[in-house]
Amino acid sequence: MMNQNQPPSDGRHDDDSALADFLASLMDYTPTIPDELVEHYVAKSGFQCPDVRLIRLVAVATQKFISEVATDALQQCKARQSAAVKDKRDKQQKQDKRLILTMEDLSKALHEYGVNVKRQEYFADSPSAGIDPASREE
Amino acid sequence: MSDGGGESGRDNEQDARRKSGGRGGDDFGRAIAKIAVAQICENVGFQSFQQSALESLSDVAIRYLRDLGKTAHFYANLAGRTHCNVFDVIQGLEDLGSSQGFSGASDVNRCLASSGTVREISQYVSLEQEIPFARPVPRFPVTRNRKPTPSFLQIGETPPGNHIPPWLPAFPDPHTYIQTPVWNERATDPRTDKVEQARQRRKAERSLLNLQQRLACNGSVAPAQVDPADAGKLKRAAESNPFLASPLQQGEKDVSPVVCPAKLAKNMAVENQVSVLEAFAPAIEAVKSGVCESVDAGKKVLPNKRPTVHFKFGIGKKALGAPVDLSLHSKSAGKTASWFGKDEEKDDKKRRAEKILKESMENQQEFAQ
Repeated sequence: MMNQNQPPSDGRHDDDSALADFLASLMDYTPTIPDELVEHYVAKSGFQCPDVRLIRLVAVATQKFISEVATDALQQCKARQSAAVKDKRDKQQKQDKRLILTMEDLSKALHEYGVNVKRQEYFADSPSAGIDPASREE
Repeated sequence: MSDGGGESGRDNEQDARRKSGGRGGDDFGRAIAKIAVAQICENVGFQSFQQSALESLSDVAIRYLRDLGKTAHFYANLAGRTHCNVFDVIQGLEDLGSSQGFSGASDVNRCLASSGTVREISQYVSLEQEIPFARPVPRFPVTRNRKPTPSFLQIGETPPGNHIPPWLPAFPDPHTYIQTPVWNERATDPRTDKVEQARQRRKAERSLLNLQQRLACNGSVAPAQVDPADAGKLKRAAESNPFLASPLQQGEKDVSPVVCPAKLAKNMAVENQVSVLEAFAPAIEAVKSGVCESVDAGKKVLPNKRPTVHFKFGIGKKALGAPVDLSLHSKSAGKTASWFGKDEEKDDKKRRAEKILKESMENQQEFAQ
């Protein structure tokens, strides 16, 4: 379905062919998210399409989205590590080379995409949780 | 979404897992999504994840998928279709990416085919290396083939009522919904049970008695007590087994007469009463009465009174009443019974000669009675 009612001109013809080519190239590319998973979840929403290329397009789009989020989280993590290193330069550098995806970084990254993920600061299992042990004895 | 941090206690994680597991039972799809997201993150550069962070991100991915499908479906419906189009998907992508922004978003007259989102995706595809999913994924969800209830036509029934067409599924069997009284097929009439029991007991006594007599008497001819009721059975058995042949009529064959053990018990004043004799007293009575009856009726009968066999009971020695001695000694031919004590030394022939003499003597006595 086209938005415009005008017959496709040469420019648009290129766009159509570009799109068609892109969709054809999608068949060669195997997205990380498997087709069966995509089909299952879009079917839950009512998406009905027998065309595999569309499924692939959706899978690739999701993969792109997740990789963007992960990249942002990685930048957050690296920024934090570099900041930590700067503070404790006199002591031995806490070169935590392992890059771990933490909730903090993820929540910051997702916030830009409109997803609010909050992490609890602490869990109060008992009324005395978080209280200084010295004062607890009183 | 709120989820605990990775360093939280095990209990909290388990609770969270239980909660997420209860959300529709979509565990398999979630697990696959977690694997896929982990692979993407690894490709980006991460080396490890926090559990909660991974679960949150996979949740986000699933939600993105569903939102994209929903939006595409919405646009298809808007255009009056049920099946989605590539342009529906592109429009959905534009909707979801509008918060981030894509090139050409502000262009009101933009063409979908050259949408900024598609271009970004094609860039991504060309730049990023291909990471196939780690494991083969089966087609899911698996639907179970249920066997439908067969219709009336299929089971060959006619529906009970003209208003029911035969292609409808058949009614369930009446025993599944109507409680019918359960009848115990075996008659548990206590009276008949008792009668049956008594009859079997009598039968057992009778056969035991017969066996005893057979062992007590000469082994040559078995003067078995013929119960009128068992006559038919004996006839049938006789065809197969000569030993089970019905006894001969009185005077049919010249046999040495033998006395009925009951007679012996009555005649002899035996000090030691054998317990078996006592036990058989009622049966013996019955036998005697049966004997009289059979004699009167003229049916096959007891061997008529044969002379008593005299036994010598050793004083102080353990003596068994000969007729009730069921030991193997008594089975030998020509011996009525074995007796203990000094009589064991006697020769077989001598014993037999004595017996014959006595029998002839007794015969005269009994016939006189």
